[in-house]
Amino acid sequence: MSLEEEFAAIPIGFDLGEVEIVLDEKTVGDRAAVTQWQALGVIEKFKAAPPGQTIEIHPRMQFAKFTGLRSAIWAKSEHEFLKPLKMGSTVIIRGRVVDKYIKRGRFYRVSEFETVDENGEILMRSRETGIHVE
Amino acid sequence: MSTVLKTGDAIPALTKNAYAPIAKDARNPIHTDEYARQQGMRGALIPGSTLLSYVLEMLYNHFGEKWLYHGRINVSFIGGGAVNDDILTAQGRATSVVQEEDGARVYLDVWMVNQQDEKILVGEASCIP
Repeated sequence: MSLEEEFAAIPIGFDLGEVEIVLDEKTVGDRAAVTQWQALGVIEKFKAAPPGQTIEIHPRMQFAKFTGLRSAIWAKSEHEFLKPLKMGSTVIIRGRVVDKYIKRGRFYRVSEFETVDENGEILMRSRETGIHVE
Repeated sequence: MSTVLKTGDAIPALTKNAYAPIAKDARNPIHTDEYARQQGMRGALIPGSTLLSYVLEMLYNHFGEKWLYHGRINVSFIGGGAVNDDILTAQGRATSVVQEEDGARVYLDVWMVNQQDEKILVGEASCIP
């Protein structure tokens, strides 16, 4: 299936599924190391993961669903932080496709994500626009 | 941490030597040298989530815990992106203060430049300090 055909087949509202993550010391520490996060007070004082800890999961969720997608790059990224992602807690990330469009021959897909805690309380909302690349 | 911002005030910038591990079997090949160069890039692109984290750290450094409850950010990735060893500087400047139910929300222009002073990320952030 070509890039254009695959893009055309994506329905608005498409469910990107959900991913559950335990914010243990290793998970948070590994991500902090990759991003060179040095403001460790967020972990040590507020017992929370650095803001944005789970954002890197969003592209993975999309690649898991769009198995024919070769590559993609981010165009836009929007996030609202509502509550800390507490160390030791389990969070769930849910996503869905909310829009798509073609502009100057490029294929844009817009997805929204929510990160919630074990009680379903929303901790972070995200809206991201990616460009599908051949 | 947070000081009272007025329109036009800058928050402390944050500079990092960009780095992301390059996996030859990365699911998204834009993060590999070979494919990224085929697409006209200088090399494996640093993931957008990593670039965003540099900006978020700058904002957290200023707003502290308040950012965890009231932070908002909306950015676009522009230019040619970033590759390993680029020197990236995140910056922010207050543009307005708007009264909300929970307090005064400070809006800032945020951006990131590389060592050539080329912008690779631009957008807006806000927080109730």
